[in-house]
Amino acid sequence: MQQDCPPKLKSPISGAVTLKAASLVALSTLVSACGVTSRLEPYKQTDAVIAAGEQVVVLARKNHANHEAEEDFVDCISDALADGKNGIAVHSSTEFEDMMYPWFEPSTAPLSTDDLSTLLEKPEVMQRVRDSGVRFLVWLDGSTDRVASGGGITCAAGVGGAGCMGLAWWEDDARYDATVWDIKELDSAGTIHADVRGRSVMPAIIVPLPFIARPQAHACKGLTQQLEQFLTSPTGYGAGPDLG
Amino acid sequence: MLAATALLCGCSSSVVVESSFPTPLVEPLPVRVGLIFSPELHDYIYTEDIPEQSTWTITLGDANIAMLEPLFDTMFMETREVPELPLNAADQRGLDGVIRPMLEKFEFDVPIGQRDQFVEVWMQYKLSLYEPNGEVVTEWPVTGYGKAELGHNREDAVRKAAIVAMREVGATISTQFASQPQVTYWLEERENAAGLPTETQVAN
Repeated sequence: MQQDCPPKLKSPISGAVTLKAASLVALSTLVSACGVTSRLEPYKQTDAVIAAGEQVVVLARKNHANHEAEEDFVDCISDALADGKNGIAVHSSTEFEDMMYPWFEPSTAPLSTDDLSTLLEKPEVMQRVRDSGVRFLVWLDGSTDRVASGGGITCAAGVGGAGCMGLAWWEDDARYDATVWDIKELDSAGTIHADVRGRSVMPAIIVPLPFIARPQAHACKGLTQQLEQFLTSPTGYGAGPDLG
Repeated sequence: MLAATALLCGCSSSVVVESSFPTPLVEPLPVRVGLIFSPELHDYIYTEDIPEQSTWTITLGDANIAMLEPLFDTMFMETREVPELPLNAADQRGLDGVIRPMLEKFEFDVPIGQRDQFVEVWMQYKLSLYEPNGEVVTEWPVTGYGKAELGHNREDAVRKAAIVAMREVGATISTQFASQPQVTYWLEERENAAGLPTETQVAN
């Protein structure tokens, strides 16, 4: 006996809602695809810390064999170190280079603490460094580079309107080394290595929606936090875990 | 597109390198030197027409003097500007030597259209040292290299790179002049003539 199929009920979930849900899922996937991974490796060799009245200066390594740290990155580190109620006294990089000219130019800057020691044997140089109040030199080396990119976005405009469609992505790698010299002890106080990789995505559905990762900004923040601890804690990294 | 290309081809870029340069932190050499700053040095302008870019005009005259004058004033016990060689007896009086700097070569490179690039500048000066009577002691080529991040303003990047290159030239002159072989011998002669010790600058 043939039975009529019961009438199909209209689905309570409309097409518009289905589309919205699909868009949300796609958006979540894209947002999770962008992000930053960081690695910071500090190494402190001494117990030296910055004392009241002493200053630190942040300089970019400029001997041309290396990647030169960007000017705004040096400024970011200097400004961040000086900020806040626990800010450290930071000497202006350009003023220091001008004051010590010609001994901190790309071709004349000391490459090792032995070179620094030789330089400071000149009485006029030693006196100038003393007058500046600078105790620690932070040499920054490295750069932020684009390591991968892909996708594409197409935009078109017509009588009825304009819009874009597509997906673009790119990955930047910010790798920096901060080497800290103690001028008073004429020795290296240690190094901090930072490697921050960030992937940015930009889907375009009519309008491009940028989701930008900022690895350089993260590198600046991470290095600054490490340098603050480096310069203010004898052991470098605060109290250890409470094992009691 | 054609209109844009035509517009670009007619563009020119102008850079005036102005800066105050720091005086070097060096011990002055115990000699009195006359300085010749020629009109070519005062009025130096470099022009280059780069295909697919623009015509670049880079004015360096004022910057040359701004860099060299305080440099020499600090490097030597006494300096004064003198007219072109040969000097007359009055101009020669009291001088141990005469220096004439010349900007011989200028080159630069501006990358097009790529991220994370640098503008580069190369400069070569010739520093000629003479006896007061005009006899050549040495002619020393001094080069300087500078680079600056390209950023959004190409002209500003070229200006910054040129300043770095000029600072490098000043650093080389102030730290290595006394260790040039003919200069070392010339300084020793002055020391013997004056009967005074000469403290020569040690090059890094």
